[in-house]
Amino acid sequence: MEALKVNGVERQFPAGQLPATVAQLLEQLHIEAATVVAEIDGEIIQPEKFAKTQLRTGQAIELVRFVPGG
Amino acid sequence: MVSSHEKLEQAVVGIAGLGGLGSTVAVALARAGVGRLIIADFDTVEQDNLSRQQYFVDQVGKNKVDCVIENLQRINPGVEVRGHQQRLDADNIPKVFAGADVIAECFDAAEEKRMIVETVLGRMDRPIVVTVSGLAGYGNSNAIQSRRISERLILVGDGESGIDSGKILTAARVGIAACHQANAIIEVLIDEIKR
Repeated sequence: MEALKVNGVERQFPAGQLPATVAQLLEQLHIEAATVVAEIDGEIIQPEKFAKTQLRTGQAIELVRFVPGG
Repeated sequence: MVSSHEKLEQAVVGIAGLGGLGSTVAVALARAGVGRLIIADFDTVEQDNLSRQQYFVDQVGKNKVDCVIENLQRINPGVEVRGHQQRLDADNIPKVFAGADVIAECFDAAEEKRMIVETVLGRMDRPIVVTVSGLAGYGNSNAIQSRRISERLILVGDGESGIDSGKILTAARVGIAACHQANAIIEVLIDEIKR
């Protein structure tokens, strides 16, 4: 098994089925990329790098989703 | 030993957007004795803003930046306010908020919220950003929470109640989120920022 910690919750994936990139993870979670800030192990990932940023087992990912209003 | 009061007096806080969140955060921080505020908004006060934003009937049609400065002067003339009547973007945010210890994200649109958080974390070295997602509707007060995401990012809100869901905006629930934001800022200024 491989695992990612997403917003503090551990998510497990069968070996070889870990989402390959941030973009793939967002797609799996049905999260609109235009309204999310992503951090991997405390490091901000710019949206243009979502499709290029590879994920590895054990990483902690924070996805902050924004809804309008202020 | 620097007292809590002195820490607040020496602090610099940026407020990006002066709607229901920003206008309320500004009042809370001025009353708390935060020494310097940098405020920014491009907009003017509209009649329907009065349902939840800290303006008055006779300020309808005026620039929000001017109105906040005027109101804060009446609350606490000791607070130094620098106003920027302009639309914020990824290029001007680092200049507008240069020197800020903390920045309050008080925008309306989800894409803009994302933009400023990314800009502060990606292009500025120091400030902590306190951002809000999910404050529309009424009731359910305790669903609005503050959460530390990482060293320089604090998130306030219920995470799901957007104005796009058709929910109304109330001074009460927007105010809860704004005061969470102001309270988190005060905590950071007293407990974390080194003087």
